[in-house]
Amino acid sequence: MHKKILIVDDEDIVRNYARRALSSRGWAVSEAADGTSALALIEKEDFTAVICDLKMPDMRGEEVIKKIKARRPAVKIIVVTGSFSKLANPIVPGVEVYGFLIKPFGINEIRDIMEKMLKEE
Amino acid sequence: MGFSLFQVLFLQTSAWNGRGLSRTFSFGFTGFTALLPMQSPSVPGNGLMRKFILYNGFIELAWIVFMTKKARILVVDDEEQISEIICAALSSDGYVLSRAFSGEQGVNAVRKEKFDLVIMDIQMPGMDGISALGEIKKIDPETEAIIITAYGSMSTAIQSMRKGAFDYLHKPFNIAELRTVVERALEKKKFNDITKAIFSTIRSEELLSIIIDSVTRILKADESLLVLINKTGKPYIAVSYGLDGQAREKSRLEVCTRILHRLPVDDINAITLVDEPFNDAKFTDIALIGEIKFAMILPLMEGNRLTGLININRKRPNAYFTENDTQRAKVFGSLVNLALRNANLYRQLQETQSQLIQAEKMSVLGQMSGGLAHEINNPISGILGLTQLLLEKEERSTQSYKDLKDIEKAVFRCKKIITSLLSFARQDESLMSPINVNEPLEETLTLCAHQMELQRITIVRKSAEGLPMINADFQQLMQVFLNLLTNARDAMPDGGTITISTRPAQVGDKEGVEITIADTGVGIPTNMLTRVFDPFFTTKPVGRGTGLGLSVCLGIINKHSGTITAQSEPGKGSAFTLIIPT
Repeated sequence: MHKKILIVDDEDIVRNYARRALSSRGWAVSEAADGTSALALIEKEDFTAVICDLKMPDMRGEEVIKKIKARRPAVKIIVVTGSFSKLANPIVPGVEVYGFLIKPFGINEIRDIMEKMLKEE
Repeated sequence: MGFSLFQVLFLQTSAWNGRGLSRTFSFGFTGFTALLPMQSPSVPGNGLMRKFILYNGFIELAWIVFMTKKARILVVDDEEQISEIICAALSSDGYVLSRAFSGEQGVNAVRKEKFDLVIMDIQMPGMDGISALGEIKKIDPETEAIIITAYGSMSTAIQSMRKGAFDYLHKPFNIAELRTVVERALEKKKFNDITKAIFSTIRSEELLSIIIDSVTRILKADESLLVLINKTGKPYIAVSYGLDGQAREKSRLEVCTRILHRLPVDDINAITLVDEPFNDAKFTDIALIGEIKFAMILPLMEGNRLTGLININRKRPNAYFTENDTQRAKVFGSLVNLALRNANLYRQLQETQSQLIQAEKMSVLGQMSGGLAHEINNPISGILGLTQLLLEKEERSTQSYKDLKDIEKAVFRCKKIITSLLSFARQDESLMSPINVNEPLEETLTLCAHQMELQRITIVRKSAEGLPMINADFQQLMQVFLNLLTNARDAMPDGGTITISTRPAQVGDKEGVEITIADTGVGIPTNMLTRVFDPFFTTKPVGRGTGLGLSVCLGIINKHSGTITAQSEPGKGSAFTLIIPT
């Protein structure tokens, strides 16, 4: 299985450490700072997983997730949120998300969830 | 003045009291136009010794002056002889008298000084009595007035009553008549003053001491005490007059306690009179009872509920309470009940107000902290992630590694604060269902029992059976209990006991439950007790507490329409009491 991941977050600093945490574990990491560029990347490439923040400057995270899943049904979605109340499935009706990362999260949390995903594959 | 007018009149009075009026005293006064004080107003009065300390110096002073001064009377009459007779008669009764010789002078006098009573002739040259009365009532509506009319002029008498005179006297009148009318007018004035004083404050502690002063004065008591019933139903002396020493206080409280238990339920408003209680089998065994010759007991009511009583004792032989005294006591009792009710309502209003302010604070903070937490999450995430990346590259032995570890720890602390802020902000999402409060309590105890054991903390349970079901959010109640238990644990670093009691309670006209969690820990200093529910207030060491725990508890309990209060005695422990209605 190829290890390709897309990180969608408007915070540079979060994308920065998330990318480095995963690339040092052999992941090929792409980044998008907003919903529009995330969808453009999804259109071009196939990813194993997308780590997606729910707060986006141009559109709601839920909408981005819905569109990603519509285009690439196999892609695993990991939702990033700061709010506990968003921890329940389904975030988006009809869409099963793989897991959650609660901000502030550390590098081990993001690695753990990805490794768990790989093992399950 | 070379001589004191008072002395002169005093002589006159003595002579007159001996046998009727002798005319030899009319010397020296002719041509006086100025008002002459008969006696200095600062005569040492029969000041009441009060055991109770008032908190408001000004009111206290005003009150003492009012309680101790002798009644001041102004006589307005152009006929000097009549004026002299009146003054002589009344000053011998201990009143303080002033004179004016025309309507204008009378009005001016009232403008300059305060009088309790004005005795005024109707027919005077210049401004007549009726007009002067109108002016005087305008200047000082509280001054009582007695009008002197010529015999047969009924219409002027009626006119003067309409202008606010208390009563009238027909010329010629005898001194006994004058005295009776003056006494009645002053009695009315005194009641008015007392009513005014009683309603002048809504601060309970002031009110209680005004009440005891008034009742002592009105009923000529040697001892008086106001007994209230505390929360647990035990009577205590709230304020007293004339009780010297603890033994006496104990004795009188015992009398009152016995009376409280015996007050007839059907006619609870009734005044009880006990003559010579030392001869009464119900009281005879009480210490120092022999001192009381006559006792009167005035119940204090709120609605139909007995809230306490006033006990008035006379120690003088034959000083039994008359029908007149009982009447006064009845009027006074209803005034006191009304005033106490006012004060009580005011206190409730203040409590509600502070609860509202607190609730508003919480709601604003809830909204703010929610937004704040979200905003801070991103930079905190960045610091955490980057720090951890750096840590991976650093040798464990370097200073940088240690520093980075400290940064990581600091971030975890921030994370903890954010988590509690978010749970604080989330309080409006609740799931209400009917529950027995013992259940979330048991579940919370299961959660932390092991931890408590480790810290050598004994848990004592006092759960009442048959508690009413309350409509509540199970999880949120658990959160409250966990918070209170954790605080109790932290207050007892060397171990101790946590006592958890539940029992049915009355919340207004509703049923409810009362939960108390008490520890034997370090306690909370009194000056901090009011602040413990304030957001971010904490006494725990830096890094241990966020200061939000009790705020969250208060928010949750408020949402359940309940109350949470803290009692504490430094060094002995603290207790938190929750009352939640059904």
